[in-house]
Order: sequence, then structure tokens, then C-alpha cells
Amino acid sequence: MAQVRFDKVRKAFGAAVAVEGLDLVIEDGAFVSLLGPSGCGKTTTLRMLAGLEFPTSGTIAIGDRIVNDVAPGKRDIAMVFQSYALYPHMSVGENIAYPLKKHGVAKAEREEKVAQVARTLQLEHLLARKPRQLSGGQQQRVALGRALVRDPQVFLLDEPLSNLDAKLRAHMRAELIELHRRVGRTFVYVTHDQLEAMTMSDKIAVMRDGVLQQYAPPKEVYDRPANMFVAGFIGTPPMNFLSGEMTGEPGRAAFRCAGTDLPVSLAGGASPERKVALGVRPEDVSLGSGPFTGTVRLVEPTGHETIVVVESPAGSLVTRAGADVALAIGERVPFDLEAERLHLFCAASEARLLASFTRSGAPAQA
Amino acid sequence: MTRILRRLAWNAFAWAIVLVVAFPLVWMVITSVKPQFELFRIPPTFWPGEVTFEHYWTLLERTPFLTYMRNSLVVATVTTVLVVAVATLAAHSLVRFRYPGRERLAQLVLFTYLLPSVVLILPLYLMLVWIGVANTLFSLVIAYTTFSLPYAIWLLRSFMQGIPHDLESAALVDGATRMGAFVDVILPQALPGIISTSLFTFILAWNEYLFALVLVNTDTARPLTTGVMNMLVSSFNIEWSLLMAASVMMSIPLIVIFAFLQRYLTRGFGAGGVKG
Ligand SMILES: Nc1ncnc2c1ncn2[C@@H]1O[C@H](COP(=O)(O)OP(=O)(O)OP(=O)(O)O)[C@@H](O)[C@H]1O
Ligand SMILES: [Mg+2]
Repeated sequence: MAQVRFDKVRKAFGAAVAVEGLDLVIEDGAFVSLLGPSGCGKTTTLRMLAGLEFPTSGTIAIGDRIVNDVAPGKRDIAMVFQSYALYPHMSVGENIAYPLKKHGVAKAEREEKVAQVARTLQLEHLLARKPRQLSGGQQQRVALGRALVRDPQVFLLDEPLSNLDAKLRAHMRAELIELHRRVGRTFVYVTHDQLEAMTMSDKIAVMRDGVLQQYAPPKEVYDRPANMFVAGFIGTPPMNFLSGEMTGEPGRAAFRCAGTDLPVSLAGGASPERKVALGVRPEDVSLGSGPFTGTVRLVEPTGHETIVVVESPAGSLVTRAGADVALAIGERVPFDLEAERLHLFCAASEARLLASFTRSGAPAQA
Repeated sequence: MTRILRRLAWNAFAWAIVLVVAFPLVWMVITSVKPQFELFRIPPTFWPGEVTFEHYWTLLERTPFLTYMRNSLVVATVTTVLVVAVATLAAHSLVRFRYPGRERLAQLVLFTYLLPSVVLILPLYLMLVWIGVANTLFSLVIAYTTFSLPYAIWLLRSFMQGIPHDLESAALVDGATRMGAFVDVILPQALPGIISTSLFTFILAWNEYLFALVLVNTDTARPLTTGVMNMLVSSFNIEWSLLMAASVMMSIPLIVIFAFLQRYLTRGFGAGGVKG
């Protein structure tokens, strides 16, 4: 069993804190993505798990062994680096064989395993070449091969697809999913690409400035983002935020925005005066009818849909409309919000408020 | 047309410079095979009227030349091995590990190189006497190490800064020990730098004169530089023929080494900046 567990892990480089108070349990055999913007501490987290950085405090366990003091080579892991880190002076075959050699596997068995991995990754005709004679995609496959050859407990992958072009990336995404299914090991996958995280993972850990924001399956991260950062980071175009305030007394509260009230019931009896932000995904706005009105600012047909930006008294809203929507810039358009799919956040703490909107649109008063 | 002319002019110019630089060397070789009486003929002859190797024989058979040669080889080789071994590890540490005062240490290392050797030579001599190794080949090895090590560390440090950190990390994850990763990954990557540094150190030790003059005054421990001067140059007379023959033989080891390693050397000096 190779569950991975971070316990109150903190990592500081001098005064700069890269990871703060990280508690994370990655189940055996799961595919987990660490997702976040550049500099949020993803690589640092992965390198600590690999044993290449020491945590400043906290413990890291693989299986039921605390590995804080275990050398990288003894953790039974394999890692694909963002830069691939292929050994330039070794051939492709030697690169793939290197981990086996270091683990004392006999030559005959080594050759057999390398041949087998090369077959899986379609590298057979490249085994004698040097890494610099390979294309980016081929180098990526060699890096993967070097990780795969030894069947470790945990695979660590640091943005392995970021150097590939869009088409190859989509292809390799599918390959990786298939690979994970076949080897059934724990995968920890670092990326700043939300599409990769959403499509490949069992669970996503969203990080920001070294702090874990949310750890949940992709659908939950999308449907119930824990805070405004996660809500805004995941989804393209990103979620709209309308700022407004709560009115009415507890039990009969409403979100007032641009002169229109949305009745809402808050769990935990939140104070009605509170400044809040309403989160609306672009696909949850329907144009054409509804209690709100706005002015069309921008129309961007992408082929299968049209992105329409509507300026409303509550703020500007990015919306998704059908491919054949006929709207002119400057036109006034009524719109409605999908009540069940709205998100409410505390404006001060940015945290999600447990709230449910009772009905869309019904204007409380004229 | 003008392009061809210009090319021709440049070529002529380059060859002129080569001739100027090479002339003393050519003259050295020619002088070493001329009979003694031909040296001072006026007007001087360029091509020897008669080629003789008697000076070489004299040197090899009737002087301690071979002892000096052996001393120089031993001192230069041991110094090179010692300096390169220490400098490689030191440079790796300066590049890879984080510890307090790392940058300051690197600067201090360079600072010692900035001092004129004359300033260091007497304290060094006294220390060598004090530990009881004065007048031995070993004292020369120590002396040469003290002044070539700083530069070697700097040279290798800049080479190693060009090696991606991830390579070593990858080796560690793949199961290598720290030393294993160093040997398997860092050394091969730093090889051009190591060869350049070795060559540099060897030449420095081979050609050194001042320290040898001060630190050693017995024939058994004298290297070629001071040995040949001492033997052939006195206040009253300079044995030109023998001196030239000795110079030719002194140059041969360097020429041989260069011929073998030149490929790495040029590649090495280019490799510091761009990874390839
Ligand atoms: N060796 C180091 N010394 C000092 N600071 C470091 C070091 N490594 C990382 N950091 C800092 O720690 C923070 C997190 O870095 P990290 O490399 O983990 O980010 P990341 O999420 O992987 O970003 P990216 O998506 O750009 O790769 C950054 O602010 C970075 O500057
Ligand atoms: Mg990173």
C-alpha cells in the first residue's frame, strides 16, 4: 500500500515561504493533481515528496513509513522532471536502464525490461540515440520510460506535458490516463493547466502561495469551489463575480445586486449586512429574457459557441451563448441567472458561504 | 573580385601573424641542430649548413637533464591530479549545496589568486621548512597547488553552473548515492571543463620558475625550468646550443598533450555558456 501523507508540512527558503501548513492524504493508486499558478509551491511539494528538498517542519509518509530522513533513491518512487532531465551523455537505452542499474538489476534482465518499456512507449527505434537527437515528444517519452521501467510505488510527474504542442499534449494526456489505469500505482501530477487536472485526476489539490485551497474530485472543485480563488482559477472563461450585499433578516435574506433581490437561504444564519460576492459561471447566464438587463459590450464567436460580454449595473459579465446568437454591440439585452448554480462568497474572507438560492429572478419589489 | 582580394589580404595578414609568433620557435629548433661553430657566423645562416644531434646527446648523456625531466613530470602530474580532484569537489559543493558564507568563500578563493606570488613565496618557504619538506619535490607540489587551486576552482565552478540541477536530482531519485550521482552524471558533464583545467594546471606547474628557484636547491629535486637555467646559464657563458636543445625537449610533452586534448579544449571553452 502506498498512500502518501503530508502532515503539517512547511517549507521555507530563508525568509520566503514556499509551502505552508500542508495537510494532504493521497490514497493508494489515486491520480492526484497539484494545480496552481506559477510559484505556488507545486514543484517544491513534489521535490519534498521525492526527498530532494527537506521540509522545514512537518512529516511526509509514503505507505506507513515516514520518509523525512529517507534518501530519494530509497523511497521507491520515480519522477519525471519538468525539464525531463535526461542524461545527455547516455543513449536512450542507457537512460532507461539507469534506475535498474542503480537498483542492482542484472544486465540480462535490464535489457529485457528496457526492451519491454521501449515497446510500450514506441521508442524501440530510438534506443541507440542520444537525447539531444530527439524531438520534444520523444524526449518526454524517454523520461516517462525511465520512470516506468522500475515499477515504483509512487510516480511523481512535474508538468511533463508543458513543453509539448497542443496536439501532442492531448494525445499524451490520454496515454497517461491509460498508463495510470494499467500500472495502478499512485500518481502525483503537477500542472498549472486546469484542463489537464480536470481531465486526468481522481482528485485535485489546488494551491495558492504555498497554501492548499481545496482538495476534492474535479467535479466538486468545479461545482463547489471552496473559495473565490479556486472558483476563479478553474473554468474558462473564468467565473464572474458580482459584488453586492445581503439584505433582509435571517431566514428571509436576499442578495441585492443592481436593484434586484435574489432570495437566498444561508446555512448557519449569516449576518444579513455582510458584504458578499456572487459567483456566476459564464454558462449559467441565459440571455434573451429575465429580470436583469445589460448592454452588450463584446461578441466573440468561437465556432461552437459565442462568448458575449454584457455590461450590467452590477458589473461586467462574461457569458456563453449559442453559436448562432444574433446580438449587436451596444444592444440592450435582458438576462437571467441559473439560481441553483450560483455561488456565494464572503467578500472579506473570500470563502464559500453555504447558501442556496430559492428562485431565480423574481424581483422582490419593482 | 574585391571579395576575393579582401579574403586574400586577410589570409596574408593572418599568416604574417602566425609567422611572427612561430619564428622564435622555429629559430629554437633550427639552432638546436646547428653545430656550435655555425651559431655565431656573420651573416647568420637560416638553414643549418650541417644538421647535428650532438647537443641532444650531450644533454641526455652528460647532464642531469633526464632527472630534471622526471622531476618536472612528477611534480606537474601530481599537482594536476591533486588540484583537479580537490577543485572538482570544491566547485561542485560551491554550486550545489547551500551553506552560510558560500558566496564569501568563493570570493575569498579568488582573492588569494589576486596576490602576487612574490608576496606568498617567503611565508610559504618558511612553512615548508617548518613542516620539514623543504627542498623536496613534495614542497613544489604543495606550492603549485596553493596557487593553481583557486583558479581551478573558479574555472570549474563556472563550468558546473552550466549543468542543470535536475540531472543530479534525477540520478538521486533513480537510486544513485550522492557520490554515485556525482560520478555518473556530474563528472561526464563537466569533462570538458575538467580537461581544460587539468591542461591549465599542468602547464602552470610545468613552466613555473620562481617558486622552484626559491624552494629547491638540490639537483635531485630540481625541475626542468630551474635545472636547465642553472646548468647552462652562468654569469660568464650561455650554452646556446644546449639551451635550445633543452627547450625543444621541454616543449615536447606539452605539444603532445595539446595535440591529444585540443579537441576537448576548444569544445570546453565554448561549453561554459550554451548547453548543447
Ligand atoms: N531553491 C529555492 N530557493 C529559494 N526559493 C525557492 C527555491 N525553490 C523555490 N523557491 C520559491 O518557492 C516558491 C515556490 O516555488 P515552486 O518551484 O514550488 O513553484 P511552482 O508552483 O512549481 O511554480 P511553476 O509553475 O512556475 O513551476 C517560489 O516563490 C520560488 O521562488
Ligand atoms: Mg514547478
